[in-house]
Amino acid sequence: MIAWGSFLVVLVASVVGAGGVVTLFSLGLRFAGPDTAGGRRRRALGVTCFVLCGALIAFGVYLVIPFFHQ
Amino acid sequence: MVALVIALALFFDFTNGFHDTANAMATPIATGALKPRVAVGIAAVLNLVGAFLSTTVAKTISGGLINEGHNGVLITPTLIFAGLIGAVLWNLVTWVLGLPSSSSHALFGGLIGAAIVGMGFDSINLSILLSNVVIPAVLAPITAGLVAFLSTRIAYAITKKRQRSGFRYGQIFTSSLVSLAHGTNDAQKTMGVITLALIAGGFQPSGSSPEFWVILVCAIAIAMGTYTGGWRIIKTLGKGITEIEPAQGFAAEAATTAAILASTHLGFALSTTQVASGSVIGTGIGRKGASVRWRTAGRIALGWLITIPAAAAVGALAALVTQAFPFWGVIGDAVVATVIIVGIFLYSRRSTVTSHDLSLEPTQFVRPKKRKKKALQEGTR
Repeated sequence: MIAWGSFLVVLVASVVGAGGVVTLFSLGLRFAGPDTAGGRRRRALGVTCFVLCGALIAFGVYLVIPFFHQ
Repeated sequence: MVALVIALALFFDFTNGFHDTANAMATPIATGALKPRVAVGIAAVLNLVGAFLSTTVAKTISGGLINEGHNGVLITPTLIFAGLIGAVLWNLVTWVLGLPSSSSHALFGGLIGAAIVGMGFDSINLSILLSNVVIPAVLAPITAGLVAFLSTRIAYAITKKRQRSGFRYGQIFTSSLVSLAHGTNDAQKTMGVITLALIAGGFQPSGSSPEFWVILVCAIAIAMGTYTGGWRIIKTLGKGITEIEPAQGFAAEAATTAAILASTHLGFALSTTQVASGSVIGTGIGRKGASVRWRTAGRIALGWLITIPAAAAVGALAALVTQAFPFWGVIGDAVVATVIIVGIFLYSRRSTVTSHDLSLEPTQFVRPKKRKKKALQEGTR
């Protein structure tokens, strides 16, 4: 009776989603956050990570609001 | 009768709001990412907005739990009323105890109890109850805990120690997203109940969607409840289970958001409250040097376990009274419920938890562990 298949899908999606957001934000902090002794290129890399992370969160907003995908 | 149901449903919506503020806002408040008042303000606005965004869920409120419809039984406004009493009272009891319990489970429980009294055990679809409510309730905290654990590990592996306060800015976004998702889901449950009552009372054709004024008052009720802030539950979730650092808060919220979004869109419904609690526990396990207070976690789990039976018992009792005395029973139920609600509020005044108890002292994140070790070594020399 239990839909183990869909549960597994939810689990994997959660790990990928949360892991993705956290990884990108962490990398952003690592490269462009305070206490970094990096050059311009590292900083640009960090900002890119922040932007990608923001895009993921924006995708979350897109999923929350049914108006966009129904 | 229907008016009474609507009033009670709106009160349930209100308790739902202040019960669930903690899901989104306990962690940013605990880490100081947002000031308590600001946090509940954001949550309230997002809940208000969220309630307007979606009106699709409201039609299937009982989700097949109660065999209503053509071949099933007819649910009456009186039974909905009895069920709501169960849900509201149980929500208030768990609030006084500071337990983050699921408001939707309280609602299901109350309605189930009333339906059993009204129509016998046949009215409940046990296998759907098991697969849609009980098993997800076990899996939700485990899933969220695992995801939060992994996220916490990732965050701590990548960043340097001094950079981690930067996670506070990220927390604002992730917690807001949790709030918005909550608004799109939870206000709808009350809309569903009110619409169900309107249909059962013959004011609205069967199968129609909620009226605009229903959406409006539900949105306002849940936003007001959220702004009032269930500080007790925020305290339990933000500080009672484990001490949370900004990186952990971010990881936990990311896990909560991901689990909720994945479950609503991939068809395995998980309770927001249980996901959020599981995330906090998971992030507590994930950080080295953090400890999880399993006693508190155990109390919360116990609360989940008895939510449905307890709300069902109250709902059943209220339904019994209304069946024994058709007119005066309803009045009696309303009076007794009001007395109990006022009693709970008066009792809660004896030990208030306000936003001031949750504001941070600046030294909180200094971990004294290393220094202690050094001092000890120097002492032994």
